[in-house]
Amino acid sequence: MSLLELKNVSKIYGDLKALDSVNVHVDKGEWVAIMGPSGSGKSTMMNIIGCMDKPTLGEVLLDGVDIAKESSKKLTDIRRDKIGLIFQQFHMVNYLTAVENIMVSQYYHSMPDEQEALEALGRVGLRERAHHLPSQLSGGEQQRVCVARALINHPELILADEPTGNLDEANENIVLDLFAQLHAEGTTLIVVTHDPEVADAAQRTIVLEHGKVAREVINEDFDAQQKEWLARLSMESKR
Amino acid sequence: MLIALLSIGIGATILAGLVTIYVDVPRQMGAQFRSFGANMLILSDDEEGMAKDQTDKALEGIPADQLVGAAPYRYIRVDMTTRQQSFTAAGTDFNQITKTSPYFSVEGRYPENPREVLVGKEIAETIGIREGSTMELTWQPAAGNAEGDPSKDRQPGAVLSGSAEGWSGGIVYVTAKLDDSSKIASLTIDAGTQTPEIGGLAQTDEAFIRQFVGKALPLMLGEDVDALSGATITSTAVVEALNTARDAQNVVTAKTVKYTVTGILTTGGEEESYVFMSLEDMAGLTGSDTVDVVELSVSASAEELEAYAEQITENVDGVRARLVKRVTRSETAVLGKLQSLVFLVTAVVLILTMICVSTTMMAVVSERRREIGLRKALGASDGSIRTEFLGEGMFLGLLGGVLGAILGFVFAQVVSVNVFGSSITFQPLLLPAAVIVSMGVAALSCLQPIKRAVAIDPAIVLKDE
Repeated sequence: MSLLELKNVSKIYGDLKALDSVNVHVDKGEWVAIMGPSGSGKSTMMNIIGCMDKPTLGEVLLDGVDIAKESSKKLTDIRRDKIGLIFQQFHMVNYLTAVENIMVSQYYHSMPDEQEALEALGRVGLRERAHHLPSQLSGGEQQRVCVARALINHPELILADEPTGNLDEANENIVLDLFAQLHAEGTTLIVVTHDPEVADAAQRTIVLEHGKVAREVINEDFDAQQKEWLARLSMESKR
Repeated sequence: MLIALLSIGIGATILAGLVTIYVDVPRQMGAQFRSFGANMLILSDDEEGMAKDQTDKALEGIPADQLVGAAPYRYIRVDMTTRQQSFTAAGTDFNQITKTSPYFSVEGRYPENPREVLVGKEIAETIGIREGSTMELTWQPAAGNAEGDPSKDRQPGAVLSGSAEGWSGGIVYVTAKLDDSSKIASLTIDAGTQTPEIGGLAQTDEAFIRQFVGKALPLMLGEDVDALSGATITSTAVVEALNTARDAQNVVTAKTVKYTVTGILTTGGEEESYVFMSLEDMAGLTGSDTVDVVELSVSASAEELEAYAEQITENVDGVRARLVKRVTRSETAVLGKLQSLVFLVTAVVLILTMICVSTTMMAVVSERRREIGLRKALGASDGSIRTEFLGEGMFLGLLGGVLGAILGFVFAQVVSVNVFGSSITFQPLLLPAAVIVSMGVAALSCLQPIKRAVAIDPAIVLKDE
């Protein structure tokens, strides 16, 4: 069942076609990577999927609603209710603690609930760091807080923009482990990246070039990866 | 943020200070103006002067807390025969003079005891008199002068007693009580020396006595009153005794008194050519204690003064009150100018504060662009961004307002003490007023920054910078 569908979506800036009749569909629970060199239209597509921009032409169906036709106020509502965002720069409010940063997201969505925010931090293994300021957290820890923040309102879709771009390999693996866990739990993931390793972790990779979908690569090893991951996880939990 | 708080605080300080001074200044200025002299006069309606009960009644027309001072004056001409000089002597109350005419400068001291005078500098220089000298002053009731005119009754309500020779050298005594209009209210005759069955009846004959009642002196027998039948000589004696008693009462003769000079008065005005003595001394010299004018110093607005004057003129018989326009007018003019100045400065300060706060908030918005973008990306609506910044601004205004009200009072206090030399009272209304104005200014200043904050594109958080 499709959660997101882009039909003939174009974004045109003057003479430049940032996106040129793109057709993409993502099923519910799918883990999709979007790859491409800079200038390929990745960011534009991310903005449109993240309800922060509208296409010039075409339809964008998110959960059955054509977000290309909605007002920007309505787009804010949809983004808040259906999408969890993860950024390359993490973007935490620097004067709020980890748990408060998560509660900001709750505040705009419904109502801050510290208990729930702490549980979300526990999920990313940072329960003990809840009352630390961003400056007291490592990059990897900050990104894990941001994953927790993206999850807190139970979005339909997690949209991650170069989530490991600023992380070392160890932290990259932690974040990818989190994604695998989310996938196992049925969360839909769209990860924009130019890192082939990150893309390889996904079920399917959409490669953009010059504003068009150049090719789609299905990860044949995905199920095996997941099994391996689950085995490793259960081993770690036994240890 | 601290800068914005400071600017609101300073703005509120200046505002609160100015408002406090502005509220307090009329009082202060009033006191200053009072030092330029009286601003209201109470005058007699006629040339008779005013009796004490009249002036007392007039003064009741002015609230005690606004009455700074009320100095009565009576002016007469006196002669200094030893020098062949004549001056104007002013009778007054020295305690009040220091209140209504604070600019009077005395070398020596004000008179405190009977027969002491204050001499104007001009007179002192002319006749070479110094503090401690004595001077003999003579008061001469001029012909036709109210004080010396026997044709005028000066003492209504008096009791007259007199005597005249009746039948065969026997003396007839009369005692008459006068009413308020100097007419005979009652009459007693002692005619014991007269023939009992003839002239002696004047003492008991009610018809004879009754005809005097209600008549003004002097009387003429046969015209104003009829003679007792068969006793013309006794009747004539009664009329004569009454007329003589009246004249004796009214005729006042010249009097000379020796005074000690306690001080020399410098005023820069015509007062320097006067001799000042107490009203009691003047009454002792002239036998009369009326007052020509009362100079009032009243701490009130021009409108209030006008109302008081009108009331006094209307309510008190024989008295009219009048404003000293020169003083009241300049007071109003100065206060008016001060008012526009305060408004102008207030407006400028408000605008400067707004510019400063607005600029600071603008900087805050640019500084927090990413955070605002993030908040919007996380689902903050334009409304909640607006509310957050407005709330922050209002909080700033609240703090600044409280700070300003307190500092403003201190500022006003310092200004007041330095400029007017007196402290001021705290206006309790100032605190809420300062807070409301500060919050309003802060809110207005935030409008443009908020507009900019709302316009921030949430997509900025996606670009890797």
